[in-house]
Amino acid sequence: MSVLLEVRDVAKYFGGVRALDGVSLTVPEGGLIGLIGPNGSGKTTLFNVITGFYVPDRGSILFRESKDFARIDGLNPNEVFRKGIVRTFQIPRLFSSLTVLENLLVAPIGQRGERPLRALFKGSWSEQERELARRAVELLKRFDMLQYVNSKVSELSAAHIKMLETIRGLMTPAKLYLLDEPTAGVDYAMARELFDYVKRLRDEHGLTFLVIEHRLEILMDYVDYVYVLHNGKLLAEGKPQEVTAEPKVIEAYIGV
Amino acid sequence: MIGFDVVGFMISWLTLFGIYAILSLTLNLESGTAGITNFGKVLFYGIGAYASATLTTYMVLMLNGVDVGETPPYDIRGIILLGELGNRNPLLNISLLTLSLIMAFALAGLVGYLLTYPILRVGPAFVGFTLLSAGELLRIFLQHYEPVGASKGLMAIPTPFGWIVEGRVRELAYLGLVMGLVALTYVVVHRLVNSPLGRTLRAIRDDEIAALCLGKHVPRTKATILFIGSGFAGVAGVLLAYYLTSVNPNMFVPLVTFNVWAMIILGGIGNLRGSLLGAAIITFVDRALTFVTPQLGVAVISPDYLRWVVVGLLIVVVLLVNPKGLLPERPIKTPALDEIAKELRDGPK
Repeated sequence: MSVLLEVRDVAKYFGGVRALDGVSLTVPEGGLIGLIGPNGSGKTTLFNVITGFYVPDRGSILFRESKDFARIDGLNPNEVFRKGIVRTFQIPRLFSSLTVLENLLVAPIGQRGERPLRALFKGSWSEQERELARRAVELLKRFDMLQYVNSKVSELSAAHIKMLETIRGLMTPAKLYLLDEPTAGVDYAMARELFDYVKRLRDEHGLTFLVIEHRLEILMDYVDYVYVLHNGKLLAEGKPQEVTAEPKVIEAYIGV
Repeated sequence: MIGFDVVGFMISWLTLFGIYAILSLTLNLESGTAGITNFGKVLFYGIGAYASATLTTYMVLMLNGVDVGETPPYDIRGIILLGELGNRNPLLNISLLTLSLIMAFALAGLVGYLLTYPILRVGPAFVGFTLLSAGELLRIFLQHYEPVGASKGLMAIPTPFGWIVEGRVRELAYLGLVMGLVALTYVVVHRLVNSPLGRTLRAIRDDEIAALCLGKHVPRTKATILFIGSGFAGVAGVLLAYYLTSVNPNMFVPLVTFNVWAMIILGGIGNLRGSLLGAAIITFVDRALTFVTPQLGVAVISPDYLRWVVVGLLIVVVLLVNPKGLLPERPIKTPALDEIAKELRDGPK
């Protein structure tokens, strides 16, 4: 399998704090990769560097867009998205005054009706709009959420909000999904269901996932490879069973 | 017996309503839908008013062979000449109106577009203050800029329908023009809001970071909206200048901006009909007080003060009953909704 994302020796400092201190990792195409580590180990910072919110102080980030494998560090968040990377947040960032349908319809790129002059003439974009609506309906059906199509986001349960944020990415041509604690605040059964969906998306659509997760008992059942961050450095990596057996990892987590 | 000119009142109210409706509709697009805290609406209104006043007075004098270096329009001789020469040629007056509208839209729109450069990289409160100060800067500049009459401003502006002899007909013709432009503004803003662009604007308003993560060009989109909104504010300024036939810097104080804010808060932020309703109510209060108070013969109650008391009370009462204003924001209407309705009606296949 070819490499989709490569993080090479990335460092990010905030004053004296070394949030990331020379991290390297690779994400293969079609992978479902875990990223774990204690609080403050740099996981979310790494996501922020990959998605263009921070420029790394050192190192580079490469991403495969069709044939090219090119650097994406230094791009703006919207440019990184257009390369094919979509992310979710620890605290979901949905558009709170929009309905479930509208949240999905915001996502696709290249909408004709987003251009001011075209927006004035419905005829020039309504066909595309209907097509996108049909796609949104398909997705909601597949994830058993069609009954919420016209609900405001504020009326959804925490689990549905998390799911909607992930499904929203499916309205875009993104290839790599960065999920930041997708199951935080979600009950155990629902959390497993969510990971079942993620796995299905990987298996059926060939999408790639890099997932930050604290609930290792769930995560380890799904991922094929795990990276462990600690104090901004890569502490360990490997298959789930190998990593959980690693004494260094146990120490970092339990803090003995 | 107090004589009350009902038709005159209606014309005066509706004209003022129309001018303010253009401001409130576009402010609602910028601030209600797109979330740009525009506390500088008056800036673009002022630019439009001064653009048309300057263009019209200078052009009328120059085309009549007056040396504006010798007799500028703000000079007392210039004002007298404008009164004599201004309303003779319908074709000239209408052409100047057209030219003013185009120029005001372009100029105010351009200033709005350029101002987004400094403001879009700061938080919403700073956007508000930057635009507020920009408006004040214009006013102070105008106060000291001799070619536009400095603190006296420009007077005796020839009006587009000044050649119509019958007063009532002239007023009605002008009202027709104002209403036509309100309709145009409404159609444009309504179509923009109920489109994928409108949806993206609301998304940006709700969560700029998330919109950025979905690849939206946040600064460019906001700049475009400020161009459109400011352009129409310029048009409203043109209408004001011709309606009052004079402009001076003190007409463009920050209070004007907040008056428009009061309209959209009262009517419902994010709802265009609410903007019309808010503009109608507040301009009605304004006109009614102006018409009625002098006839009561109570000199103590100046409409200028009473107006704010009434408007303030109205806002408080409405927001207590309905925190989202008289007409709350509604989901945008695009063909996607028909598609969903079809799906839900047909049921699971």
